[in-house]
Amino acid sequence: MAFLGQGSNSLLRITPILKRVAPGIASTCVKNASKDANQIRTDLALLMPEEVEQRKKLEGYITVDDKTDISPVTGVPEEHVKERLVRIYMPPKNAMQSGTNNLGHWEIDFETRQRWENPLMGWCSTGDPLSNMKVQFQSKNDAISFCEKNGWQWFIQESKLEKSVKPKSYGINFSWNKRTRTSTK
Amino acid sequence: MDELKIGTLKGIDKYGNKYYENNRFFYGRNRWIEYAPKYGTDYDASQVPAEWYGWLHYKTDLTPDKDPARPKYKWMVDHTENLSGFSGAYIPYSTTRPKIEAWVPPKSS
Amino acid sequence: MLRSTLSKVLNGSKLSPNLVCVTFRASSDVAKKPEKIEVFIDDQPVLVDPGTTVLQAAAQVGVEIPRFCYHERLAVAGNCRMCLVEVEKSPKPVAACAMPVMKGWRIKTNSDMTKKAREGVMEFLLVNHPLDCPICDQGGECDLQDQSMAFGSDRSRFTDIQFSGKRAVEDKDLGPLIKTVMTRCIHCTRCIRFASEVAGIDDLGTTGRGSDMQIGTYVEKFFMSELSGNVIDLCPVGALTSKPYSFTARPWEIRKIDSIDVFDAVGSNIVVSTRTNEVLRILPRTNEEINEEWLADKSRFAYDGLKRQRLITPMLRDNKNQLTPVDWEAALLTVGKVLQQAGPNVAAIAGGMADAETLVAVKDLLNRLGSELTCTEHVFPMDGSGTDLRSSYLLNNKISGVEEADAVLLIGTNPRFEAPLLNSRLRKTYLHNEAEIAVIGPKVDLTYDYHHLGTSAKAINDVANGSSPFSKVLKNAKKPLVIIGADLLKRSDGAAILSAAQSLAAQATNKPEGWKVLNVLHKVASQVAALDIGYTPGVDKIREAKPKVLFLIGADEGAINKEDLPSDCFIIYQGHHGDQGACIADAILPGAAYTEKQATYVNTEGRAQQTLVAVSPPGQAKEDWKIVRAVSEIIGMKLPYDDINEIRSRLNEVAPHLIRYGDVEGANYFKQASQLLQEKKSVDDSPIDVKIKDLQDYFMTDAISRASPTMAKCVQAVLKQKESKY
Repeated sequence: MAFLGQGSNSLLRITPILKRVAPGIASTCVKNASKDANQIRTDLALLMPEEVEQRKKLEGYITVDDKTDISPVTGVPEEHVKERLVRIYMPPKNAMQSGTNNLGHWEIDFETRQRWENPLMGWCSTGDPLSNMKVQFQSKNDAISFCEKNGWQWFIQESKLEKSVKPKSYGINFSWNKRTRTSTK
Repeated sequence: MDELKIGTLKGIDKYGNKYYENNRFFYGRNRWIEYAPKYGTDYDASQVPAEWYGWLHYKTDLTPDKDPARPKYKWMVDHTENLSGFSGAYIPYSTTRPKIEAWVPPKSS
Repeated sequence: MLRSTLSKVLNGSKLSPNLVCVTFRASSDVAKKPEKIEVFIDDQPVLVDPGTTVLQAAAQVGVEIPRFCYHERLAVAGNCRMCLVEVEKSPKPVAACAMPVMKGWRIKTNSDMTKKAREGVMEFLLVNHPLDCPICDQGGECDLQDQSMAFGSDRSRFTDIQFSGKRAVEDKDLGPLIKTVMTRCIHCTRCIRFASEVAGIDDLGTTGRGSDMQIGTYVEKFFMSELSGNVIDLCPVGALTSKPYSFTARPWEIRKIDSIDVFDAVGSNIVVSTRTNEVLRILPRTNEEINEEWLADKSRFAYDGLKRQRLITPMLRDNKNQLTPVDWEAALLTVGKVLQQAGPNVAAIAGGMADAETLVAVKDLLNRLGSELTCTEHVFPMDGSGTDLRSSYLLNNKISGVEEADAVLLIGTNPRFEAPLLNSRLRKTYLHNEAEIAVIGPKVDLTYDYHHLGTSAKAINDVANGSSPFSKVLKNAKKPLVIIGADLLKRSDGAAILSAAQSLAAQATNKPEGWKVLNVLHKVASQVAALDIGYTPGVDKIREAKPKVLFLIGADEGAINKEDLPSDCFIIYQGHHGDQGACIADAILPGAAYTEKQATYVNTEGRAQQTLVAVSPPGQAKEDWKIVRAVSEIIGMKLPYDDINEIRSRLNEVAPHLIRYGDVEGANYFKQASQLLQEKKSVDDSPIDVKIKDLQDYFMTDAISRASPTMAKCVQAVLKQKESKY
């Protein structure tokens, strides 16, 4: 299938536990580096060398160049992993408005599923827990790797928004041209 | 009701159910109903009409025929039993206007 | 949303990719054109072409200047003054939308002077604007509302000293589509400019001056345009709103599903707004290569037809000759039995809104039964290469290519009503590219001037052999186009006309590489996909074959009727609306309309696009290809696809471009196509006719729009307007 993802390499970034628990350590390290003399950090001075080594390993990011699928551990029911189709797209500008500040990012959403109506009040129901889920991403690749990580099938909806810029001129309103010149202007 | 009991017949409703009382049994077991034979074994509690229901459940000690305060109007409807699960079951109708109008095929001559 | 906005702020100005694209191109052109000038927008340098306005230059670095009257697809008006910005060393703020940049200008879009100017303009606008946002249909998607949040004052200095009341204007009646509340109008004149530039209808204008200024049609008049709905989108406030949608929903409660329009062969991109499983409105979605950001009225307003005349249960004809609702099991078993008995004596006709998945499933089913009789309702000549070479049935030069043309010959088509958005491109070419346009066919109003070369098909030969005044224009043109209406090729001499047009197209010699002269404009959304899959155009073969079972896939145009078929022929209709097809059917299988299925459509350029499910099909209706798949299982010839991915891989086997969504698969072999069509049948002399000549014919052309009450009102309004003396 041309439009389905076949598995590009995704980058998984694991935030170091140390950084999450004690953000102070990481930042002291950076501060120390900028100073001239190589100071010894007091919290490391008492540790064994291998322990220091271990801590250093836990700092910074670990990059895993491998496709990961977290769907077996997320607890998402299998029905909502295997049978969902995710659309990755750039939200279009609302035709009713001219503002563009909320555009330019990528979004994912899921295919629409069956809805039904309550016979008493006419309220509409759906059994789809993902019907309201929209996630925004900075780039297309982020969205793709998120989908792959969660084991969803996806396709990309490209939108053709590129336009050529033609200089506009106010003066053209007053040029004599029998095609553009009309009585109502 | 499925057991051998002796009591006084307090009344018979218009469906043929018989209502008995025997105060020698303790409270809660002293009033009972013998369903009309036409129900056979298909009796159920919803076959008790509303006026006898009160007596049977100790809401009142007066049987319907002895109770002068009981209203009797001609517009009051007859008691019906609960028919859930049968062909006459009550099915609620939708109170919402359908969003889709279906096509009705033209009558062919 | 907040998160992305924050991150944009934190990352400096994070640009949307389309803007970045433009910037890159602008900088790569620098080497070729050294005359580009450098200006600074908020101290960011940008290189622009001379003549670029401040607003455009700012847009190139992703700085958006607030505006009301400026619209990038309309002429500059410069009357709302919202875009005032400060230019260094200039004593007054300048209107960014109208002022061309000068070399070295330092433009400040966020300075105190700019802000003060905007606040002043906003205050003046709000003095004359009612505070009825809570009951206004534009509320929540209103430019004025949004910008007053940024530049509006928190208290009013407007005191009505004379107690004369706020400015109030009487509402205008613009017909059944556009609701007007003219008190809300801020006189941006976008609607006027749209009407006169894009729609080509000079009906709207202004009267009066100052606070007495009014926008209107001078006399009470229906805004008679096939593109009128676009002024609703253009209006930055709630002065022009949609009448069918009025007081229905707020923008934040609706779900927006991107989809494709199927009312014509253009394949406009749309956004379907739904709430509680109901289509509430349809808006255009920007696609520069197809519909820009416009949408034709039928596509925009015919959605209420989706709620009426629907087929919601399967039906079978009982022994009283009456169609009665049955359940799926009974219907499928009956259909299966009939198909099994008929064996290879089966035929299918595809209507104008059938999707590619259904088309391929039906063809597979019929082929398994041993029949090759799959036809489309709409005709195309089969002589010569017929439909084997795609070049002879596509709009080869693409819709956006029309904009560059300098000579256009329209043969037997009325693009204004067959493809309104193509016509708006033609009008753009006419206005801005000085294109010469000529028409062979009936004289119709196309919203621009053209040379009328005659109504007879012989006129094509005149142009070809140089006896027509237009032949010289066409020969000398650098980018000529010949657009043939698909309806014309229905005639008995259709092949000869196509051949004549092909030879005419071959005469254009000084065209650039890749420019394709010959173009065919289809009228219905399914035709190109059907021809790509291998359907036979036209139903003549079915008339001859006298099938025992006829399968109609949404075929409602009455191409075939009961008299053409043997009396024992069993007709199965599969579709979403009860119309002509359903009336003659013996069995009805309810399908899904285009808003209810994920389906592929190929537009007249050969561009595959897909619709997405916006609402569930009503009642017991099912997605069309799944019904065909179920029928195949019942007759024991199971089609080998179970879900949408598998049927799409089948489409991929048939023709890979059918699932390459969004891209045009261009055609080639023009030479071979015309060589194969060399057999000289002469073009006969009968006059060319087009089916839709006038606006009242445009609104109701297919099963959905015929069921739509709004479209019926439009027809009435046009007829009434035609009788009025204005």
